[in-house]
Amino acid sequence: MTTTAPTALSAPSTEPRTERLAITREGGRMIADYWEDLFVARESGRKIIWYNGGALNPMFQAAGLAWCHGEAFAARLAAQRLEGPAQLAGAEYGYNAELCSYSRTHLGCAVLTLKGSEEPDSGVVGLHDRADLASKLPAPDLFVNNYAGCSTGQQWDEVSYRVFGKNVPIFNVSHPFLWGNRPDAGYLVGSEWDEASRYVRDQLVELIDFLEVQTGRPFDYDALSESMTYIKRAGELRREGLDLCKATPAPATFWDWISCIAPINFLPGNQALVDYFQNVKDEIQQRIDAGVSGVRGEKYRLYFDGIMNWNKLGFLSRKFAEHGAAVLAGRYIQNAFWQEPHLIDTSDPLLGMAQHYLLCPTNHGSKTLEHLTLRDCESYGIDGIVFHSTRTCRAFTGPQRLLAKSARDNLGIPSIFFEGDVADASFYKEEILDSRLVAMLEAIDVARERGDHRRAGHGAEVAWPT
Amino acid sequence: MPESVALQRLREAARDPRAYVAGWRAHHPGRRVVGVMPMNFPREIALAAGVLPVYIQDDQRPVAEGRAYLPEFYCGYTRNLADQAATGRLDHFDALLLADHCIQLLGASDVARAVGDRSVFFGMLISSLSDSWAEKKIAEMMGQFRGEFEKLSGAPIGDEALTRAIEAYNADRELLRRVFDERAAGDTTWSPVELQDMVVSAQVMDPIEHRDLLVEALAAAPRGERDDRVRVHLSGHLCHAPRRELLEVIEETGAVVVDDDLWSGRRYVQSLVPFTPGEDPMSAIGRWYAERNVDLPCPTRVQHDVDWDAWLIDATRRSGAEVVVHLMPKFCEPHMLFYPELRKALDAAGIPQLLVETEHEGIPLEALRTRLEALVERALRHRPAYA
Repeated sequence: MTTTAPTALSAPSTEPRTERLAITREGGRMIADYWEDLFVARESGRKIIWYNGGALNPMFQAAGLAWCHGEAFAARLAAQRLEGPAQLAGAEYGYNAELCSYSRTHLGCAVLTLKGSEEPDSGVVGLHDRADLASKLPAPDLFVNNYAGCSTGQQWDEVSYRVFGKNVPIFNVSHPFLWGNRPDAGYLVGSEWDEASRYVRDQLVELIDFLEVQTGRPFDYDALSESMTYIKRAGELRREGLDLCKATPAPATFWDWISCIAPINFLPGNQALVDYFQNVKDEIQQRIDAGVSGVRGEKYRLYFDGIMNWNKLGFLSRKFAEHGAAVLAGRYIQNAFWQEPHLIDTSDPLLGMAQHYLLCPTNHGSKTLEHLTLRDCESYGIDGIVFHSTRTCRAFTGPQRLLAKSARDNLGIPSIFFEGDVADASFYKEEILDSRLVAMLEAIDVARERGDHRRAGHGAEVAWPT
Repeated sequence: MPESVALQRLREAARDPRAYVAGWRAHHPGRRVVGVMPMNFPREIALAAGVLPVYIQDDQRPVAEGRAYLPEFYCGYTRNLADQAATGRLDHFDALLLADHCIQLLGASDVARAVGDRSVFFGMLISSLSDSWAEKKIAEMMGQFRGEFEKLSGAPIGDEALTRAIEAYNADRELLRRVFDERAAGDTTWSPVELQDMVVSAQVMDPIEHRDLLVEALAAAPRGERDDRVRVHLSGHLCHAPRRELLEVIEETGAVVVDDDLWSGRRYVQSLVPFTPGEDPMSAIGRWYAERNVDLPCPTRVQHDVDWDAWLIDATRRSGAEVVVHLMPKFCEPHMLFYPELRKALDAAGIPQLLVETEHEGIPLEALRTRLEALVERALRHRPAYA
């Protein structure tokens, strides 16, 4: 029997191969400024709102509130490796380590905040723990829950409300799960989509009433339109930048776009936000013009499915690049965060906002997710999929095996799974990722040597190594 | 005294729902059978359409092919559901339906949709019950369920049929609830395993047939009085039954279960459809859903003025329970989220408690026995000394 030994194409490089977008450092500064501003919001007379789920920040901006997105704060702590004290406080309070680590971290902050409030009028997370926690999250004056897709999201804020002794007013926005019961159901189409959009839009009107009562001021609709005008433009620029990354080799990677999540997710809608995404797009265009790629010697083009492993962002970016693997697209980037800006009517933005909240990437049945994943895999010329089996995020992981099967059956694309988590580093399994990644890249090499090609809509079956 | 034939039949239906469905189909040729997911599905609407709605149980078989569809950190019940779907063990149903937004249950249902060729309908009942629009949304969704069953049966559902279905389920639940109330008041006739069989069979069977058998089983059992064993309240397992050996070991340690809030126990029987003759049966079914969470709070619902922790303490006072054993299925997020609130409240009330994380694949019973024995000892020390 003769075998064709593939060349050692997937051996990792010892030289750094990542070329991260320089502009993301500016994004980091904007984010740091945002948090610093939030930490002193109470001193400047603003009420503070804690919210989870879809990006309601334009509403809060128009209402003159300061806002803290719970998941974002948990992610920030994890990315800075500062999640430990909050998670410890949550564990001492009784939260199980298998609970969503975003919620566990955020609830831990709530517990610390309560401890901190024993120190008179500070409203600052445990002053005595501040050195360790390295966070200064002010206690909430209001809660708003805006969670689509994951059932845990709504329960998480309800429990936060209880941790604070039911003394903080709370408002819930309910989102129908876009299951696809009806024959006309599909992405952005069908009666189910239309009805759900109107229902959530109507709840946003109720939310405005709630905010007016809580702030004692009439809601500023003009300010909302203005903010959404900036956000729509930023969303358009983001989409255009993402489209530029379809080029071969890709000028920027999924990891660059991960670094751009925070600005689009919760920074104020203003000219600075638009400028930021204009600069992101410009830098990408300059790279294309100059022939600079996001991964030097790009050899493989991969898709990443799963919510981000915030503890390991830079690490994962380097790990994939070492193998010449450019991670280009993913459900968390292409299918989230004001990703369909054409839906926003800036003169009356509530419907378009409601629709984006419904478009949370965990709020679709697997049929729609298959459609989106296959679409993105085709348009980015993807060779393989990496599924981040996110230990405490059942919402993201639920359909992953169906998506893997669909990608193989329809496009002949192989995939691997590795285990990690959004905000708990203890679930990350380094060796499993290493060995599976190498195996998949070698499988891709072998297939290339054999002259196999992805089916990619051409109807040709592919004989992949088993 | 030998147990009654009626009790045996209830047990058979509880432990082998597929055989029950096969028998039912044989006696009702041409009629449809649907599988429904826990916890809040309005089965009355299905029955009114002439369809038998069966709550799908964890069939306790090891998860094999299902592992290819859901990750191991999904709860045991949903992984078991995926396994049932992947291996054709749901093929005796004409359709599957669910009303509860649990992300893990949706994951399993999506697998069933992907691997099968039957309809899987998700009508999402609003879970945020404090909202002023909740009543309207509940009514809308109940209307959609009615439409779905009219499509399935091919005929409109009349109010008279709805009324009869409500009365049938109410009568069955009411009788079951009486058994639970009697247990809480001191009747120890039934072991927790026997009660679980009674409730699970009710979740599977035609309600009229179930009630007839239940009447017979109850009549054949003499009342047993409570002795001085340590009185236990079982809490948790919100959507599927705990393994029977777990219930057995609890009583083997010198304890007696006096009440519970389990899905395969009081949680299923606590609420009747609040229907009065002459009113719209659909709105009564909607109220049933809205009030279930008040009658026995569930952490999967969001209702600011309803407290599971307060309910639990009241329940222990009603039954005289001395300790609470939390049965938390591994990876059940609503239970994980709410557990600290329960723990705080019970600690404040001075009620000893034990958290037991249960797994589909079973738990080491001897290690559990030691923990339970320690809890029993602790409860005995709590008892006042004789004067």
